Amino acid sequence: MKASGKILLVDDDPDFLDMHKAVLQNHGYDVLTATSGQEGLERVRAEMPDLIILDLMMEKHDAGFSFTKTVKTDPLFRKIPILMVTSVAGVTGFRFSLEEDGYWMKTDDFLDKPVMPEVLLERVDKLLSKREEGQ
Amino acid sequence: MNAPTKILVVDDELGIREGCRRVLAEEGYDIDLAEDGTVGLQRVQEKSYDLILVDLMMPGIGGLDLIKKIYEIDPEIILVVITGYATIETAVEATKRGAYDYLPKPFTPEALAVLVKRGIEKRELRLEAQRLYHEREQRLLELAGEKSRLRSIIGCMADGVLVTNLERQLVLWNASAVRMLRLSGTDELGKVMDHYLKNRALIESLDRILGSKDENFSMIGQEIQTDNPKSVLMAQMAPVRDEQGRLLGAVTVIRDITKLKEIETIKSQFVSMVAHELRSPLAAIEGWLGVVLSGEAGGDEEQRRKWLLRAKERANSLLALVQDLLEINKIEAGKVAQKMESVQVTDVIGKIVEFFKPEAERHHVSLQMKPSVPLPAIQADIQDMEKLFTNLVSNAIKYNVENGSVSIETSLDAHFVGIHIRDTGVGIAPADLPRIFDDFFRVENKRTDRISGTGLGLTIAKKIVDSHFGHIEVESRPDRGSTFSVYLPYKK
Repeated sequence: MKASGKILLVDDDPDFLDMHKAVLQNHGYDVLTATSGQEGLERVRAEMPDLIILDLMMEKHDAGFSFTKTVKTDPLFRKIPILMVTSVAGVTGFRFSLEEDGYWMKTDDFLDKPVMPEVLLERVDKLLSKREEGQ
Repeated sequence: MNAPTKILVVDDELGIREGCRRVLAEEGYDIDLAEDGTVGLQRVQEKSYDLILVDLMMPGIGGLDLIKKIYEIDPEIILVVITGYATIETAVEATKRGAYDYLPKPFTPEALAVLVKRGIEKRELRLEAQRLYHEREQRLLELAGEKSRLRSIIGCMADGVLVTNLERQLVLWNASAVRMLRLSGTDELGKVMDHYLKNRALIESLDRILGSKDENFSMIGQEIQTDNPKSVLMAQMAPVRDEQGRLLGAVTVIRDITKLKEIETIKSQFVSMVAHELRSPLAAIEGWLGVVLSGEAGGDEEQRRKWLLRAKERANSLLALVQDLLEINKIEAGKVAQKMESVQVTDVIGKIVEFFKPEAERHHVSLQMKPSVPLPAIQADIQDMEKLFTNLVSNAIKYNVENGSVSIETSLDAHFVGIHIRDTGVGIAPADLPRIFDDFFRVENKRTDRISGTGLGLTIAKKIVDSHFGHIEVESRPDRGSTFSVYLPYKK
């Protein structure tokens, strides 16, 4: 079964961009990449992806938060699910959970880095099918 | 008493004087004689006597007058009155003046010996009493001195001290406590502690101690935040007890731990930064291994090999980071490890330039040593110097542009040798300049994101220069290049 969908990866670490891209492309997704929040927003506006996978820690520590705020408050893009991948837990000792932080973080799912390929594919599939149901 | 007892006999009758001497000398006393009051007084002025026998009826100074004058000289002396007219009146008069007893003439040698013996015993008692009295006076004086010394010591202590009694009154404090806790109203004494102290938490803890029934209660330690000046204080409060263990009050010692707290914060920030910096490459390595092992990304043998190489690169950078961290630790652990010797810096740099030639060629950057002035030898650790200039030259190549150049120049002033590493690279934005020597700081933009680094190279460089009592400066313009100047002291 070939999956389909356009996925935008936003991460400042080229290794994560390339590894996630390799896994997702191998499973039939179209993959776009951006290395900063600014570039990510440009790609969202130009390409209207079906899903965004976002690293929280980018050039500024709150870049991930302001990115999601911009996307989720825009009527045109608010429906795009965002999967947040982060290594913040390792730094602050805090863990994000959808129940507690989902509301103000405005993202649809969280994963800690590194994300193993099987887990990544499962979450992507879940978020994309949820979106289709919703439409 | 070891010294022989000294007795003076004052009588105008030779017979009495000689008689007394004979009787008393036999008893082992030291005897002096005086034939009238004037001579007697003179003797007393010259020498101290334990007992004096005085004839009340003498020409010249009368006996009663003599008694008065002798007492002015030594009030503890024992006076025995000898009188031929033993009447109640003279006896009473003499005892009123302080005489110990009286001996009516004529008297037997035995009566004299007994009375003198009794008198001497009395004298010894008086002297003992006097000695004890002086001793007590001395102790009181010492105590008063001790008290004022303790006050001075407590007053001069860098730590603040507060003492509170059971009535919650503040009974003792020092200048440090006033300063640290901003005590107010200290010109009024004997008020309850709330009058002086504004810190609620401190008052509550003191009340807990003062209200505690538990005899084993030993101490409360509490951190106190104060504003204006902003500081963190550590207050240690302990009950004051008497020998029976009854609570008398509480003593509080306050120490300013603001600096310690700052160091603690910096340390924990550093640790969390290190953890993050270690985690990123590790996560990337694990990610790549996951990609290859799971097979979810497909790819042929060649492709998988490339992914594994990416993992290996991150492993290398992780290793370099750990190496740098150990380096920093070594520099900070102590300058003890430094081996200072006479070093020709230009020789050290010459070798480094040779070493980096191939690297520079790979980056299409020209690397040249242009010593403008010859430099004298400096006292330095040669390994530190190698590390310092390796870091600076390596940066100048890494952050350069295609067909750029790196040149190393020298300068000399009265106290410092100067080494200037000039590149034509990407430069540093003015906003980033103040932070480039910070731990893990890396300029991040489009032109640098493919350049690997630990973010510790310049931190190490600065630490080395600092440990050699030099300074490092940087001048930079974005897209034009940067010049790092190292100044190290030399002896003429």
